[in-house]
Amino acid sequence: MGSSRAPRGIRRRDLLTSTAAAFFVFGAEAALGRTVKGGLPWAPDSVVPPTPVSAVGWYFFTALEGAAVEAICDRLIPPDDGNPGGKQAGCAVFIDRQLIGSYGAAERFYMRPPFATGTPQQGTQTQFSPAEQYRRGLAALDRYCRDGLGGKGFAELPAAEQDKLLAAMEKGEAQFTGVNPREFFELLLQNAMEGFFADPLYGGNRDMAGWKLIGFPGARYDYRDYIGQHNKPFPLPPVALQGRPEWIGR
Amino acid sequence: MTMRRAVFGLIGAAAFAAPAFAQDLAYETIEKGRALVIAGDCVACHTPPGAKPFSGGRAVETPFGDILAPNLTPDRATGIGAWSDEEFVRALQQGVGRDGEHLFPALPYTAYTKVTRGDLVAMRAYLNTVEPVHNPVEPNQLPFPFNMRFLQFFWKALFFTPGEYQPNPQQPADWNRGAYLVEGLGHCASCHSAKNILGGDKAAMEGGTLQNWFAPNLTADRRVGLGAWSEDELIEYLKTGHTARSAASGPMAEVVEFQTSKMPDADLKAMAVYLKDIAAAPAVKATPLAADRADMQAGAALYADNCSACHVGKGEGVARLFPALAGSAVVQSDDAATLLRMVLQGSRSAATDAAPTAPAMPAFDWKLTDAQIAAVVTYARNSWGNAASAVGAGDVKTMRNALKN
Repeated sequence: MGSSRAPRGIRRRDLLTSTAAAFFVFGAEAALGRTVKGGLPWAPDSVVPPTPVSAVGWYFFTALEGAAVEAICDRLIPPDDGNPGGKQAGCAVFIDRQLIGSYGAAERFYMRPPFATGTPQQGTQTQFSPAEQYRRGLAALDRYCRDGLGGKGFAELPAAEQDKLLAAMEKGEAQFTGVNPREFFELLLQNAMEGFFADPLYGGNRDMAGWKLIGFPGARYDYRDYIGQHNKPFPLPPVALQGRPEWIGR
Repeated sequence: MTMRRAVFGLIGAAAFAAPAFAQDLAYETIEKGRALVIAGDCVACHTPPGAKPFSGGRAVETPFGDILAPNLTPDRATGIGAWSDEEFVRALQQGVGRDGEHLFPALPYTAYTKVTRGDLVAMRAYLNTVEPVHNPVEPNQLPFPFNMRFLQFFWKALFFTPGEYQPNPQQPADWNRGAYLVEGLGHCASCHSAKNILGGDKAAMEGGTLQNWFAPNLTADRRVGLGAWSEDELIEYLKTGHTARSAASGPMAEVVEFQTSKMPDADLKAMAVYLKDIAAAPAVKATPLAADRADMQAGAALYADNCSACHVGKGEGVARLFPALAGSAVVQSDDAATLLRMVLQGSRSAATDAAPTAPAMPAFDWKLTDAQIAAVVTYARNSWGNAASAVGAGDVKTMRNALKN
């Protein structure tokens, strides 16, 4: 035996001795219990307040791109009965501000190759960040419109033609160069909805238009006074992180 | 056992017996002193956060400037190790330092003068047992002319009545014990009595403002004082920091954490008995502001959206977690300092062994404007049976600036 024994994992004796040694080195200290008393740490002025975005101008889009995205949002969420549509609710502003930030740069996505085509359930597998997808997608859309639809940009098309083109994109039938039209449509639809329902602080959902439309009460977190009142509408208007008009002086 | 061994044993036992007896006496005195030092909350001023106990150097903010609390450890050079018991008693009963200099009443000797000599000597005995820390402290950080110690001579002549507490024979023992603790060691009046322009007490226990807090009225006034509190509630408050209606925060949270929560139940009961017997000044008739005022309407909207989740729709609060605003003395006091800074900066309530949760109020200074805070505070002061004066945006601005410094 002896040296003829090939290494074959941990021997029982080694395990026991090393465990005992580890206990004496580390275990004795770590095994001691400790009673923690007193309140949790608290310090004044430790709030990190959210910063409202600016409401004017484009930060990511060119004027042409901005106009196209506004037009798209207004067809995805058209104005009706005095309710503002996607454009008036600021959805394009919301998207613009997101694209200059961490979302646009895909900071939270895994962005390394290989870039394979996934199943629909696996979502977009693109190598392009959202900012790049918009730049490329809007360029492809503009080229498609100018080459095939009478030399006009998307924003200048009549509403019916815009709807037709968007429907073709959704079905993957519009022939864009270098861009998957269906993927780009899905991205637009997703972001337009986010802009319509996110807190107004982020540039969309202006005057809480989206929340008013669906009866969402906003940034509230306690309904004890109302929870027993069945089949009655909730009486309070929606409230945003920065308040509502009744708060005066904002 | 040999004879010799037995003899040595007996000698040994005798040699230990005498000091052991003395040690027992000393132990009793020291333990008594420890309890009294807790009842006097000495640690609050004499221990900066994170420092060794009683090592001194914490700034006591006064309207005249900062005074640093001295080192009370037995270090002979920088603490009070070299002081005689007489010098210690004289400092607390007469406000006179070791070299005969007048002490500033940031040391509340106006209250400590009521403490008996025997109790003070016991406190000294306990302080002799804490770890000596070498930490030189120059207490006098006051600007001219307040830094002139001899001026304290005139101040004392005006506002200081030396003398140990004299029990009131008409009152039961617990009332007298309560008075001794409240007026003496507990030095409640240091915060809860308004100060005149020279820093002397006026209007005893009717509430006082200091360090941008308002310490509420402790008299029997039902609206702004303790009139609606029961003895049991007071005991619970002092013991745990929380009751069905209230929570201790800010400087009072420290008082509860360091002092009252560690005092014996009998002493808390005595304090409650005495506090419940402090007569109120004639109540001021207060009528709530009209609900249709613009600030009341805005305040109602602000309250529903920002406050009601914890303090509940009609200001009833949640027992032992979130203070009730309806019927609250802090909310209705003429001086809204505590209320304003609570809304602006938030605060953590007291954490005690009996109530360790210590819920905190979040800050709203980043979210609400001066006018909005004025409106919501005015609304809380005048709803659900509350009645108090309106608060203006200017008051909020003043407090906001004061808290920034």
